[in-house]
Amino acid sequence: MKKKAVTLFLAITSLVLVLVGCSGGADEGSASQDEKTIEFMHLWPEGSSAQHHKIIEDIVADFESNNEGVNVEVEVLSNEQYKDKMKVLSTSNELPDVGMTWAAGYLEPYVEGNKFASLDDVLEGGLQDSFVSGTTEAYAIDGTTYGLPLELNVAPIYYNKSIFEENGLEVPQTYEEFKQVVATLEENGVEPIALGNKDRWTGSLWYMYFADRIGGPEALTEAIDGNGSFEEPAFVEAAAKIQELADMNAFNAGYNGLSDQEAKSMFMSGQAAMYMIGTWDLPNYTTNEDVPQDFRDSVGYFKFPTVNGQGDQSSFVGGPGVGLFVAENSDVKAEAKDFVSFFVEQWGERSVQDAGVIPATKVDAESMDLPQMYVDVLNDLNNASNITLFADVQMSPDAAEVHLNQIQALFGGEITPEEFAEAHQEAMSSEE
Amino acid sequence: MNRLGYIFLYLCLGLVAVFQILPIVWLFLFSLKGNREIFAGSPFALPQEWKWENYLTVWEGGIGTYFFNSVWITVVAIILTSLLASMATFAITRMQWKLSSLVLGLFMVGLMIPIHSAIIPLFNMFLNVNLIDNPWSIVITYTAYNLPITMMILLGFYYTLPREIEEAAIIDGCSIHRLFFRIILPMTTPVLSTIVIINMIYNWNEFVFVNTFISSDQYKTLTVGIQNFIGQYMTDWGAIGATLIISLLPILLAFIFFSNKVVEGISSSAVKG
Amino acid sequence: MNKVMSNKWMIAFYVLPALILVGILIFIPLGLSAYYGLMDWNGIGDMEFIGMENYITAVQDMKFWDSAFHSFLLAFFSTLSLIVYLAISMILASKIKGADLLRKIYLIPMLLSSVAIAQLWIKVFNPSNGILNKMLMGLGVDNPPAWLANPDIVLYAIFIPILWQYAGFYILIYYAALKNIPESLIEAAKIDGASPLQIAYRIKLPLIAGVVKVTIVLAIVGSLKYFDLIYVMTGGGPNGASEVMASYMYKLAFSTNDFGYGSAIGFLLLVITLIVTVIVRKLTADKEELQY
Repeated sequence: MKKKAVTLFLAITSLVLVLVGCSGGADEGSASQDEKTIEFMHLWPEGSSAQHHKIIEDIVADFESNNEGVNVEVEVLSNEQYKDKMKVLSTSNELPDVGMTWAAGYLEPYVEGNKFASLDDVLEGGLQDSFVSGTTEAYAIDGTTYGLPLELNVAPIYYNKSIFEENGLEVPQTYEEFKQVVATLEENGVEPIALGNKDRWTGSLWYMYFADRIGGPEALTEAIDGNGSFEEPAFVEAAAKIQELADMNAFNAGYNGLSDQEAKSMFMSGQAAMYMIGTWDLPNYTTNEDVPQDFRDSVGYFKFPTVNGQGDQSSFVGGPGVGLFVAENSDVKAEAKDFVSFFVEQWGERSVQDAGVIPATKVDAESMDLPQMYVDVLNDLNNASNITLFADVQMSPDAAEVHLNQIQALFGGEITPEEFAEAHQEAMSSEE
Repeated sequence: MNRLGYIFLYLCLGLVAVFQILPIVWLFLFSLKGNREIFAGSPFALPQEWKWENYLTVWEGGIGTYFFNSVWITVVAIILTSLLASMATFAITRMQWKLSSLVLGLFMVGLMIPIHSAIIPLFNMFLNVNLIDNPWSIVITYTAYNLPITMMILLGFYYTLPREIEEAAIIDGCSIHRLFFRIILPMTTPVLSTIVIINMIYNWNEFVFVNTFISSDQYKTLTVGIQNFIGQYMTDWGAIGATLIISLLPILLAFIFFSNKVVEGISSSAVKG
Repeated sequence: MNKVMSNKWMIAFYVLPALILVGILIFIPLGLSAYYGLMDWNGIGDMEFIGMENYITAVQDMKFWDSAFHSFLLAFFSTLSLIVYLAISMILASKIKGADLLRKIYLIPMLLSSVAIAQLWIKVFNPSNGILNKMLMGLGVDNPPAWLANPDIVLYAIFIPILWQYAGFYILIYYAALKNIPESLIEAAKIDGASPLQIAYRIKLPLIAGVVKVTIVLAIVGSLKYFDLIYVMTGGGPNGASEVMASYMYKLAFSTNDFGYGSAIGFLLLVITLIVTVIVRKLTADKEELQY
């Protein structure tokens, strides 16, 4: 009896081990000795970002055929899953050879932890000049660049021309005019602004523009890196302006509980007149066939107005989106660097033409057949006096969390502008 | 109860039933709409244009492989969990040993771990034994993480099994294995069906572990297939709805099957008991 | 009899496979997570041992206690809701016409994944287009609340889908337990002239008491570590108004690079759950175990 039990137990355990063990080793033998594999992780799944995905596939295929004996193994995750997986992989020191990173605050701990390789050598051979100035800088720490940006976005205010026409409204140039627009729309029973502030960075954009207009283009960046203070009157006033708009019912009902997606849908179904979002949304208003033609035709955009006669309308909130990194401990670092360099070269024109991405590399808008709104945005970008990087991207993740929560509280009227400023200053000073 | 009472009771029951059916109707309509209609329109409005192409999109996204993986991983994990949980519960409730309550306590602690605490250590462990990007890591993780809750559910039932049966069996010279596999296990068919349903839902809908441990497309499951439609700035909700409907059908069928077993098992064990 | 049923080899054979699996895949990660809790680590660079500092910070962290309070509220409501599920199960398990079909229909929403449930309830709660507010406005309510935006309401609003999500789970368990009661006992009571309510309360309830106790523990443990819908529907917001322990822990460990601190919170979550469970078990302890 005893013996039988032991045998059975051993049999089951070894069966499990064999099953598990066998399949565990299966992957290993396949790669031959001199073939090199670059693991590449990105966040543009085929289902949601078909064109992005296709361009990447093409670039990878071209790279593989140009480089005999090098394979690129691609893993695709959705945005949030991507961030989670980066975290898991970094704890085990298993980052992919090439992956995507965000600028500044996201990048910093990876650089400090010596996880990302310097890309200065990649930029040296003239590649630096192909980037729009100011974009690679967002990926640089102490003068060394660790990421090659792929996108460059600014956030204008999109508006529905037909709604403006019906209500006899003009594009506002000043905050006073803007308030007048809001008041008229509100009186006529139209939601003035669609805002999904569950995502928090959406509300942050509004605050950043007020801070920029009132405090000047450098103010926010200085306050974040410790050379200024969030308790300066300009920031308190910017926060007060947010609450002023909120009190005027400028934003749709329940904005603090709505996602950006829901707010966007309100704008896109004509339920709200204005909507602030990054230029990554341009395809929705130009080329996306799923959106009715008459709606696309009725969308325009304008620059954030001046406030109290202050501020420069060609100063934008925005910045580069994702960029490519190469892992410091990669076994194929040289090949990986070749790959990222090849990638950004190929990416530029194709991304804007096929996927409607505004790339961080310079593009010649004249030579391409682009919708008018793209041409306008590219022109605005060329003439931009300043682009302030999204606050939550600039800040360290800890400070960003405070900022974003405070944004929700500010919009919700739970705190005063002074408390808002105080909480920010506290968070910044605890950064050391 | 009088006639009026019955009418009232059925009215209430019927109303609740309608409420419980509506989500499925909603999901089906959802799967045939585009983003704009999904978010701006009324949830139960019929689609303005029936976007059957959502299903085509999903199909072209390679759902077949995901589907197959979901099925076999779910099934294997259910079998392992049900068997191991039944065996352990049997030993804890029916056999006599000093440490039984301590061991039971250990299993209960296993119930309490938040998965986000576990995920990074687990990844590290699987990495060390070369089980990353291997579907078996998913199978054994599902099994282990469902064992505590499965045992908890079994526990209440095992305590109520009449002792006379096993006493009689042992006196007749029946071995423990025979007692467990031939007598006890069949007697617990109703609760086994219950835990199969519960495990099935858990395994079928799980995605955190799959996303973390699996990187190759060939091993991913249906829930990860949904992620395919979530983009950096844009999400194709209609296609997600279609994926949800497709992934709902098999467990709906399996659920109806096992749901009948909950009752059938009882009548058969009642005869034996 | 005793000799057979206390055979050490047999006990090992039946318990060890499950125990080893749980030991390796749950207890080792648990230990590691407690260990990471002793570190100052962002999960990316080098870690530094700082002893109990994270745990001390946690004890003084008001945000943590707020989230713990929210989790406890959820546990309380989950436990209360068991009464409703038990009542429904009693009706479904009694011999009324159509009970079988009704039971299947009632359990269908349980099959939906959290992704679907979250989307559904987001549509229910939408302040201007949502089903709920459209109904309220139809009834003449002028300013229906913004359910997920109002910090005073959001927590209770989001409890509703959470409780609803688990209804099927408990009904299924209660149903199986009730069907397990031998018909003869109920028939005997009927012959003695007991009313359906008396049968439910005096006979059925005591007989499934063991199962009910288990579900109480499951409801409490499940609530204290609950994460899914909170994360998808509100992200813990606005400004932490619907944060629960697990979502707070997730934010720290995965979003804000406080991996060490997040691990400490995760471990505290487990300790708190354990303490509550032990108390509940003591409170519901019964001297004799019932058998049919």
